[in-house]
Amino acid sequence: MGKHIKILEFALSSLWRRKYKNLGIIMVFTLIVMTLSSILLLTYSFKREAFAILKGAPELIIQKIRAGRHDFIPLSYTKKIREVPGVGKVIPRLWGYYYDISTGGNYTVLGTFRGIKNSINVLKGKFIRHGESGVCVIGKGISQARFAEIGDRIPIKGADGKFHSFRIKGIFGADSNIITNDLIIINPEDFKSLFGIENNIFTDIVVQVYNPSEINNVAARIKALFPDTRPITKKEILRTYDTLFDWRSGLVLTMFAGALLAFVILAWDKATAMNAEEKKEIGILKAIGWETSDIMELKFWEGFVISSLSFLTGLIGGYIHIFFFGASIFSPALKGWSVIYPDFHLMPYINPYQIAVLLFLTVIPYMAATIVPSWKASITDPDVIMRG
Amino acid sequence: MNTIIKTENVTKVLNRGRPNEVRPVRDVSMEISKGETVVLKGPSGSGKTSLLSLVGCMNRPTSGKIIVKGKDVAKLPERFLNLIRRNTFGFIFQQLNLINGISVKENIMLPLYPTGSGFPELKKRAENIMDKLGITHRKHFPVQGLSGGEQQRVAIARALINNPDIILADEPTAHLDTKLSGDLINIMKLLKEEGKTIVIATHDPLIYERDFIDRMIEMRDGKII
Amino acid sequence: MILHPGIIALLTGALIEVALLIYSSYIGLVIIMRWNANSSTEEQLSLERKTYLVSTIMSFVLAFSILSTLLFIYTVDGMHRLFTGAMCATGSLNANPVGWYALYMKISIFFLASIWIAVNYIDQRTEDSPLVKKKFILLLCITPFLFSDIYLQFRYFLGLKPNIITSCCGSLFSKEGGGMAGGLSGLPTHPMEYIFFSSIFIYVFIACVSLFSSKGFIKYLTGLMAIVLFIISLASIISFISLYFYEIPTHHCPFDILQGHYNYIGYPLYISLFGGTVFGILTGVGEGLKKSRLLTIQINNLQRKWTITSIALITIFALICIYPMIFSSFTLEGY
Repeated sequence: MGKHIKILEFALSSLWRRKYKNLGIIMVFTLIVMTLSSILLLTYSFKREAFAILKGAPELIIQKIRAGRHDFIPLSYTKKIREVPGVGKVIPRLWGYYYDISTGGNYTVLGTFRGIKNSINVLKGKFIRHGESGVCVIGKGISQARFAEIGDRIPIKGADGKFHSFRIKGIFGADSNIITNDLIIINPEDFKSLFGIENNIFTDIVVQVYNPSEINNVAARIKALFPDTRPITKKEILRTYDTLFDWRSGLVLTMFAGALLAFVILAWDKATAMNAEEKKEIGILKAIGWETSDIMELKFWEGFVISSLSFLTGLIGGYIHIFFFGASIFSPALKGWSVIYPDFHLMPYINPYQIAVLLFLTVIPYMAATIVPSWKASITDPDVIMRG
Repeated sequence: MNTIIKTENVTKVLNRGRPNEVRPVRDVSMEISKGETVVLKGPSGSGKTSLLSLVGCMNRPTSGKIIVKGKDVAKLPERFLNLIRRNTFGFIFQQLNLINGISVKENIMLPLYPTGSGFPELKKRAENIMDKLGITHRKHFPVQGLSGGEQQRVAIARALINNPDIILADEPTAHLDTKLSGDLINIMKLLKEEGKTIVIATHDPLIYERDFIDRMIEMRDGKII
Repeated sequence: MILHPGIIALLTGALIEVALLIYSSYIGLVIIMRWNANSSTEEQLSLERKTYLVSTIMSFVLAFSILSTLLFIYTVDGMHRLFTGAMCATGSLNANPVGWYALYMKISIFFLASIWIAVNYIDQRTEDSPLVKKKFILLLCITPFLFSDIYLQFRYFLGLKPNIITSCCGSLFSKEGGGMAGGLSGLPTHPMEYIFFSSIFIYVFIACVSLFSSKGFIKYLTGLMAIVLFIISLASIISFISLYFYEIPTHHCPFDILQGHYNYIGYPLYISLFGGTVFGILTGVGEGLKKSRLLTIQINNLQRKWTITSIALITIFALICIYPMIFSSFTLEGY
């Protein structure tokens, strides 16, 4: 034990004596870790936010399809669906998008008077009540983009070309605000008159299934009953998000393969190029009784210190970049589904798996690149310093 | 008198079979007894340093036997040569070969770091040696700030940290002025009194004309004459 | 299915590892052909020095095999959502059974690399390096394993088609499921418990006897029993040990115990099992290497330590397994 601590100690002092030389590699290493960790942290937190949204999402949604396009679904469908064995509640929903010219944002408009699961507790103000007309609840993003507070009015341009104005009753202030950030909730009646939708048709239908393992069966039955519908299970959505995000971060990581390779070559080069002073030191150590494996251990510790230092700094850097500066560099590439979102902050989140992946992509290549150069240094002849 | 170092027909060939083949040591047989102080004398290029590095287990001979304390070391793998070197020899080099940037005490203890021996004991040993050589007051100074004489003592202290039976010195006075050479010789005398075996490779009359030298071995062209 | 960060990491690492090992194998070949312990030529010295490089690379490979096994399991576990019906790593592995072979390969590499490092350790501490050729032949045997590992990983990940319906722990390891895994969990629990505990007892007994006996065959037996015990233990973990940790009588999964939800109990469990097995196998392997007086002295010294370590680790393993059986209210009566 004592041996390893003493060699580590010497490695530290040896690094410190050549701090300017080592600073270069540490900086590049840190930058690489920071870049890669930013990519990973960003995708994982998107993934998590998406799952947070879907957590409260229904297990099964039925959409109507006409000519391969999503169409409004008539209320009459609900009755028959309700009769399928294993089906609990059947709830028709009204929702859509609204493009706001003044802020350039794409908002989600929801016509309901029921609260949204998991979000109602973070509401400032009050939720709209049944039959209450001309009022709305909005997300934080919209409130910020339009400088609107509770009691203010928001005008929305309807299908008739006129502006309908809604008084704000409440504002969502969730930490994880990707769910509610761009949301406007109004009454179903207001929704219909705003967008000019006839009575008795809805955007889609939510189907509750008592036994989770029966979901696929129920979906199949509904599909048989109404061939013009598309049942979407929550699992399918989750799976799609999963694949999508993994694929995206994998793609961006692959784009950085060149940078990684350059870094490995740099590490190899730095480890090979020893100046006369360093060579002499190793010669001295060999001459006074250090053995080849001791020198290799010394070199290992040097590499270990450099990589842990850079890794930690880079990881913290990436964390700060993503969670405090809103991923300013990468988000356009990875966010994808909504570049015109109002500003939002991600929930800080990091797990051991991401750290393991990062280690594999940075520290292991670095260590591998320095093995051969360290060995070359360590086999210096012990009598080299006697030959003058 | 018992023999501590013995060589039998030791030859070292470098770059064998190539145009630049050299034989720095040729067919050397000699014996050195315990407690003896021996000078290897000869002009530069005569093979003194090479012989010293073979005897000191830094290197393996191409042929022949080298027996150190009764053990043939000529064919040992480097790892074992290193063990013997670390336990048996103390080296004083032509250059001081101190590591700049670390303190006097650390320079002295450096050889024993890889042994993993108890740190408190190691520290005590280093302090004893520093006391003996009068550099205790400098122990926390970085070596590059020391005077030439002090640096010389640090290098000697480092050679003594493993309590070696045999001291090997390679042209120790080559870079020293007369006064410092005298100091060094006094320390060597002290070591001789302690019963150490000393082998000095030199062509400096300041050393080999002193009366503490027991014997001289003259070398030329890699051979003993 | 290749552009997943975890998969990219695993494959990058595997490529690096294979590159290093190809280089070491080349060195190994040269050493096997040209090594001459009696020569003092510069060539011999340079070969001697190259053994340091190879031993460093092997330590790297060992460390890497442990890390990559873990990362592999995590990655596979994280992907289970992509496969309908999969609920954990087992389900993802079943989606393309090649994954199981990749996992077996990783475990084999772990054991082989450990044995190599031990042989190298003995060799470097014996003055005439008597095991040089043997250890490099062993090295050349490890290389194909690494190639298979990387090949199987590629095959596994390339062959994954998200969305294919797979069976998971629940259905796979229930008695209806076919194949070996189903067979393992279908093993009757009570007899399996007896077999498990008696084999632990027998192993510890044999290992203890081998500590005090100088007979060769009992040491070989220790090594052999270590392998048998390892296989029985893995079967038992699937068959009944994991159930006590999950407290669900149908959840026969060897991977979920690695998760924080179960207090990471899988780590000490597997570390003690794998460690105990390695040191047990080494006891047997060491016996086979006692070819000269110097080696015998070296090995006798180490063998004792190895056997004691193995006994200690297997005991810890057994205690971890017994703990939930005694202290949890969950019982397997009737299953």
